[in-house]
Amino acid sequence: MQDTQLLNEGLALMGLGMGFVFVFLTVLVIVTTLMSKAIGRFFPEPPAPVATGNRRPPAPRQDDDVMVAITAAVHRYRRRHRR
Amino acid sequence: MTEKILTLWYGSGLYNLSPGQAVMVLVGLGLLYLAIAKKFEPLLLVPIGFGGILANIPEAGLALSAAEQAAHLARPALLEQMAATLQLGLDPAAGIEAWRHTLTEALHGDLSPALLRSANDVAMDAGFAHGMLYQFYSVAIASGIAPLVIFMGVGAMTDFGPLLANPRTLFLGAAAQFGIFATLLGAVGMSAMGWMDFSLNQAAAIGIIGGADGPTSIYVSSILAPELLGAIAVASYSYMALVPLIQPPIMKALTSKREREIVMTQLRPVSKLEKIVFPLSLLILVVLFLPDAAPLLGMFCFGNLMRECGVVERLSDTAQNALINIVTIFLGLSVGSKLMADRFLALETLGILALGMVAFAIGTACGILMAKLMNTVSRMPINPLIGSAGGSAVPMAARVSNKVGLESNPHNFLLMHAMGPNVAGVIGSAVAAGVMIKYLG
Repeated sequence: MQDTQLLNEGLALMGLGMGFVFVFLTVLVIVTTLMSKAIGRFFPEPPAPVATGNRRPPAPRQDDDVMVAITAAVHRYRRRHRR
Repeated sequence: MTEKILTLWYGSGLYNLSPGQAVMVLVGLGLLYLAIAKKFEPLLLVPIGFGGILANIPEAGLALSAAEQAAHLARPALLEQMAATLQLGLDPAAGIEAWRHTLTEALHGDLSPALLRSANDVAMDAGFAHGMLYQFYSVAIASGIAPLVIFMGVGAMTDFGPLLANPRTLFLGAAAQFGIFATLLGAVGMSAMGWMDFSLNQAAAIGIIGGADGPTSIYVSSILAPELLGAIAVASYSYMALVPLIQPPIMKALTSKREREIVMTQLRPVSKLEKIVFPLSLLILVVLFLPDAAPLLGMFCFGNLMRECGVVERLSDTAQNALINIVTIFLGLSVGSKLMADRFLALETLGILALGMVAFAIGTACGILMAKLMNTVSRMPINPLIGSAGGSAVPMAARVSNKVGLESNPHNFLLMHAMGPNVAGVIGSAVAAGVMIKYLG
């Protein structure tokens, strides 16, 4: 008799606990997603990713441009002085 | 002359060593061996193993309270006085050894704190003192402080970036907590079948091993079942160390090769502001829904906020390094103090070790099954291997997911993807702990 009661309580705790863990984490998922969206919308320039995301790729591009310009200039200079 | 030699002999460890204590010293040495030679969670198993040896030194009583020492050593007059304080009747005909036994059992049983305190006072008046490990235990674990401070340190070491980039991995952390409740049911079932004798509180404390989170299991068992704390802590930390051995077979059994090769899309970058707001929103949810998880998750969020806010580098650094190390030393020694022969060497311990293993396996399996389910519903591909990381054990479980993934596809790095469910598992097991404490505490 007491054993079945213990088992029932165990089952109840299992259902309650698992249910609650899922509900809590579902709410957390929703809140987190909303929070991320809100931050993405109202603070559209999140400093960290924009800074790291934009500065790094442009750096080599700029270098390339500069390199092209320098090579062209050197080329012209040499041609002019050869003449 | 012979009398003096005899006194020395009677006071020696060898004369007083009980077989149980000898076994426990060997167990302590075994834990040290695992930690030093096999590198199993050495940071914890070294202090635990050493504490276990210290606790079993005969006659030293390092892990005993003043009253327990008095019950073991005091003169009959003091024993009678203590029995009077505890409102126990001592049978005058039974002899002094029986008295000592009755008193010791009474002190280990369910005594009200007030009675226990007065018994300790009587013993202290007579010149007995608390043992060193007992002091550590009462300061570090009985008060609940050490697991909470460790949780703060874990929070300060945790990067929620992967979780924020893909919040749905929280479901994996939730699914893996099924191990906790399945084990609880298993422990209750064993009692119902008459194999073991676990109360619901003890069953809940055993189940938490399935959360694969050392501090959480210690915290819960110190509240719900302090008498099982030694076995639960040892089980929990040894299984955490065994994650790389236990999980891969389960992971491979439940997934096909094609599933293991799934490549996940790269995570989006997460802004600093999101990382700062996340611990605060988690804290608000805890406040709103589950105040009983507030000690654990509150400290966790606090540690994480210190890390992410970027203005208290020094505090964050202390929480992740110096403080967590100090607390780990005392936590380990205090857990070791619970490895006393007369309490640890019981059939229940074997049951706990077995159930802990089952808890772990079920948690891993549920995480993977949940990941498979999510993979079929969601547009974004999810590699089921990251599901196994839902059972906390940060960052070991995530590394295992990564390793098994690499075995199937050498260009598939799952580590960052697995960190999401991994930290979700920490939150999930803390929530489960809060539910248990709410329901049973």
